[in-house]
Amino acid sequence: MRGIDPAVLLSYSWFCVAAASHLGIEVTKSWALRKAEKERHTLLRAVHIYKKHRVQYEIRTYFRFIHLQRLTESTCDTYLEYIERNLPEGCALKVTKVECQKMSEHLTPPNKD
Amino acid sequence: MYKPKTLNINNNAYVRTIWRLNSTAIGAVKDTEEEEFRVLDILKKKQRQERKTMKRADVQPDRADRMAPDQNWGNVWPGPRSFHPSSVPLPIRQGYALKGAAPPGKKANAELMKIPNFLHLTPPVIKSQCEALKQFCTEWPKLLNSNEAIEKHYPVEIITSDYCHGSPSIRNPLARIVTLRVKLSSLELDKHARDKFLRLIEYRYDEETDLVTITADRCPMRKQNLDYANYLLTACYHESWAFEEWERDKTEEDMEYYDWDKNASKRSLVQWYYRFQGKDLPEDVDYVGYDISEIPNGEQYKMAVNNLFNEGEKDETLLEYTKAVRKLFGLPDLDVES
Repeated sequence: MRGIDPAVLLSYSWFCVAAASHLGIEVTKSWALRKAEKERHTLLRAVHIYKKHRVQYEIRTYFRFIHLQRLTESTCDTYLEYIERNLPEGCALKVTKVECQKMSEHLTPPNKD
Repeated sequence: MYKPKTLNINNNAYVRTIWRLNSTAIGAVKDTEEEEFRVLDILKKKQRQERKTMKRADVQPDRADRMAPDQNWGNVWPGPRSFHPSSVPLPIRQGYALKGAAPPGKKANAELMKIPNFLHLTPPVIKSQCEALKQFCTEWPKLLNSNEAIEKHYPVEIITSDYCHGSPSIRNPLARIVTLRVKLSSLELDKHARDKFLRLIEYRYDEETDLVTITADRCPMRKQNLDYANYLLTACYHESWAFEEWERDKTEEDMEYYDWDKNASKRSLVQWYYRFQGKDLPEDVDYVGYDISEIPNGEQYKMAVNNLFNEGEKDETLLEYTKAVRKLFGLPDLDVES
């Protein structure tokens, strides 16, 4: 999750963990980076000339991560829909799904003719 | 003006006005001493003042004061909503506190109103909502407890990413990327097929974790990328099992591992052995097929040189090589430094 307010992210991650525990999903890890990612812009302060006088702006992005394990497909979809609907303002979510599949039947050595 | 002499008790304005209204000479000359001077108000300041001090109608008592402590909060705050102080029965204070003063209260507090609140997601509400969602969820199979079991039955991993933003569109071009991960040991390959497979996939193989990672992002749809990744894996697999005619031209320099039997090291060992024995080398000696068991400690030397080339120059391999050479030449062993 990424957002502009670490307190909001903390509350949201608390909500995610609570929802996961109610639905029976294993929460392995929930952590946050200590510092935010700051994007700084240094612009001219005046409209015309005055190159030596600048003004600096920065955009701070805070991050938070949650690890979930042992989810079935339907549980995963239900949980994700619930989480995404309750995403607060000023936050964005990136969900990485690792899906385990059986080996396809094509991957067998050819018969020796 | 007619004035009855008997009604001279209270010469107040009220009595005077009553009689004035009832008298016939109402438009007559008014008595300026008894009345106030009417002030001309061009800018209408008096009316403006009256309008400014408009008093609101009676404000109803807060809904929060009439709330019972055991009410169902989920009914009061069903969805995400900006903070409304009269509906929240909590004495919250937020904001910068001057020295000696408390932080500002909840009424008309912009700081409380502008932040996103989670009043619609209190623990009992989450619990009830999850109970309702449980009918759509399935349980994880109990036998797939450990990672090994999962890997054994489901070796192929497909990694995809979903993105949720607060923007007008739900599309994100990064969501089409698909990564396929599989362990090389779970694929059935013989020696030649494994070598060919590794050469085909080049950089996508990680030796430490034994994982083949195929990333597909050239198609616009996730499904297309998934099919393409599967196709790549299948194609490489079947190609590696096929033997082409031009593969016979593989020279010693193309070999991915070091084979001692086919290299100069064996030749030099055999030549040295013959010189050591004092015998002459026969002319057509087959170096590749020469049996080293005749040379004492030859096997150890062979293993040491093989390890040196295949595993790289490490302390252990160098030590083994020195030991093997010493034994071969009959020199005393190295003193083991404790």
